[in-house]
Amino acid sequence: MSEVPHLLLVDDERSIREPLAQYLTKQGFRVTQAGDAESARARLNAYAIDLVVLDIMMPGEDGLSLCRHIRETSETPVILLTARSEETDRIVGLEMGADDYVVKPFSPRELSARIKVVLRRWSAGGAKQHAPETGSFAFAGWVLRTGERTLVDREGVSVPLSTGEYNLLHALVTRPRQVLTRDQLLDLTQGREAAAFDRAIDNQVSRLRKKIEPDAKNPSIIKTVWGGGYTLAAEVTRL
Amino acid sequence: MRRFLPTSLIARIALLVAAALFVAQAINFGLLLHERQRARFALVIAPATTRLADAAERLLVLQRETPRQPGAAKNRFLSDPRTHVRLHTDNPFVGETDRRRPDVERDLRRGLEDAGLHAGTIMAALRPVNPKRLLDPKLDPLRAERLRRMGAEMLVAVELPGKGWLTLATPWPRTEFDLIWQLAAQTLILYVVVLVPVLLVGGRIARPLRTLTDAARTFRPGDDTAPIRERGPSDVRALIAAYNALGRRVTSMLDEKDRMLGAIGHDLRTPLQALRVRIESVEDEDDRARMADTIDEMSRTLDDILSLARLGRPSEPNTDVDLGALVDAVVEDFRDLDHDVTFEEPERLKMRLRPTLMRRAVRNLIENAVKYGGGAEVRLIPEAERVTIEVCDRGPGIPMEKLEAVFNPFTRLEQSRNRDTGGIGLGLALARAIVNDAGGTIALANREGGGLTATITLPR
Repeated sequence: MSEVPHLLLVDDERSIREPLAQYLTKQGFRVTQAGDAESARARLNAYAIDLVVLDIMMPGEDGLSLCRHIRETSETPVILLTARSEETDRIVGLEMGADDYVVKPFSPRELSARIKVVLRRWSAGGAKQHAPETGSFAFAGWVLRTGERTLVDREGVSVPLSTGEYNLLHALVTRPRQVLTRDQLLDLTQGREAAAFDRAIDNQVSRLRKKIEPDAKNPSIIKTVWGGGYTLAAEVTRL
Repeated sequence: MRRFLPTSLIARIALLVAAALFVAQAINFGLLLHERQRARFALVIAPATTRLADAAERLLVLQRETPRQPGAAKNRFLSDPRTHVRLHTDNPFVGETDRRRPDVERDLRRGLEDAGLHAGTIMAALRPVNPKRLLDPKLDPLRAERLRRMGAEMLVAVELPGKGWLTLATPWPRTEFDLIWQLAAQTLILYVVVLVPVLLVGGRIARPLRTLTDAARTFRPGDDTAPIRERGPSDVRALIAAYNALGRRVTSMLDEKDRMLGAIGHDLRTPLQALRVRIESVEDEDDRARMADTIDEMSRTLDDILSLARLGRPSEPNTDVDLGALVDAVVEDFRDLDHDVTFEEPERLKMRLRPTLMRRAVRNLIENAVKYGGGAEVRLIPEAERVTIEVCDRGPGIPMEKLEAVFNPFTRLEQSRNRDTGGIGLGLALARAIVNDAGGTIALANREGGGLTATITLPR
């Protein structure tokens, strides 16, 4: 990756694509635009693209199909732009290997923040570490499904989580046996959703424990690390 | 009375046929009885009157021959073997008054008068034959045979004024019982022969109708159930075909609606997104935040409209969900935004529903409470047959007459809940549609001491 990350912005709507490209350029990215899947493929071949921002709803070949193509041919991370009501698109998109998604109408700031997170993760983890945060994770009898954002217990009953709880659990589950400080957790959980989230991490953790621990007073899944923070002590299996 | 009448088509047809058959049989019975009576008159009463008239005449003749010896006339009369008519000074059948038959007496009097005999009191009684009597060796075998066949005996006593009573016993055909049994058997056979096919045919008509009713009741457009098989008589078949066509039409109309709404959603969302990107260049922080809020609100409304319009064909499947955790998660989201929402999380409560939609319904109710009441108390009350979710606030409440109206889409209460604080009134409509889809109900009530309670009731 060069000094300035090179983004490919694929959206058929000029009214969105152009000002967004302008904004992202101002944020310090190099932005190449494409109005359809075909020109996107051409640009992908022509440039060393660091990340693709991809609109799912496009006439002709749609974003999902292009996403699949990118995943098959390269390691370039993808962020999908989806409509809120098309939940299935989102799930399919993540299954297809997209790294993240933002829901329209999104704030350009949020998109920019997500791009940075994905790029950071990307450069830290190197290649072959695709979509480490999506899919389903099994731990201690629970399954966390990131596509539907649900937690399912042994009996297949889903236990809905608040946005904050979900983000926290997601952060822990994707980093099992790592000690995460409160600051790290705040950073990780705030980055994902625009929803204000400034309640103490401790509070969230104790609520989560009530929901998932067999004995909340004597936690075995989310453990407190003395002086450090929290860690997920259970074995995590990606499904 | 009305509720005892059968309501189903086939039961009504069967009842009607049965009633018609019964009336026809009753008429038959009447005619038959009349015929029997005439035959009886000819067979029994006419000979009896002839014999009585004959006996009376003979007695008169004998008395005229021996006017000074009354006993002699009687003895000569009785010793005559040609007749079974007896002469008594008093009525010997007084003990049989229970079995008197006025109709037979009337017939007898008519017969006697035709024969020119003016009798005083006439008494006729019918007595069933005692089987022991038939074994009496003194009884004439021919007569015994007749008695056995006929089954009854008619006892007649005729008063000849001043001369005593003439009596006669003669076999009587016990036809009434036979007739009734015969008729009953006939009716039964008729019922079996007519009603069984009626019921069979009725069943053949009713079964496809029932299938049709079930299909119509559970009809959900777009769930891709196979059309109902066309069977039964041709008119029922035509009905089923028409129903299938109707279902297809409804489904395709809804498909059309979905496509249109999708297009509208996309077409409106795109300029909204463009606007959202462009406001980043607005210098003033406050202005930009307000614009972003407005865009978010428009986008939420758009989502509500799309969800409401699509609710007839929800894409989310029913799943097992812990309802307590669901409500808790919604409450927690509000708390994260520093809203004053209280909720006591109950024990695990497994329900089968569409979690994202139900979350939306609960969220809409709490959102209203927070918006108008500044906070909410949320309760989840599990009962044996149902589960109640209550969302209470201490806001201004809603005037009684508007409690129902606020559920209609785009209803706004101008006075207390105005445009500044309110959305465009889709929240409650959407909540109600979601809850109804889950088989539950939703209601609003003003609280004692001010405020509003919104109640979702779901069947367990």
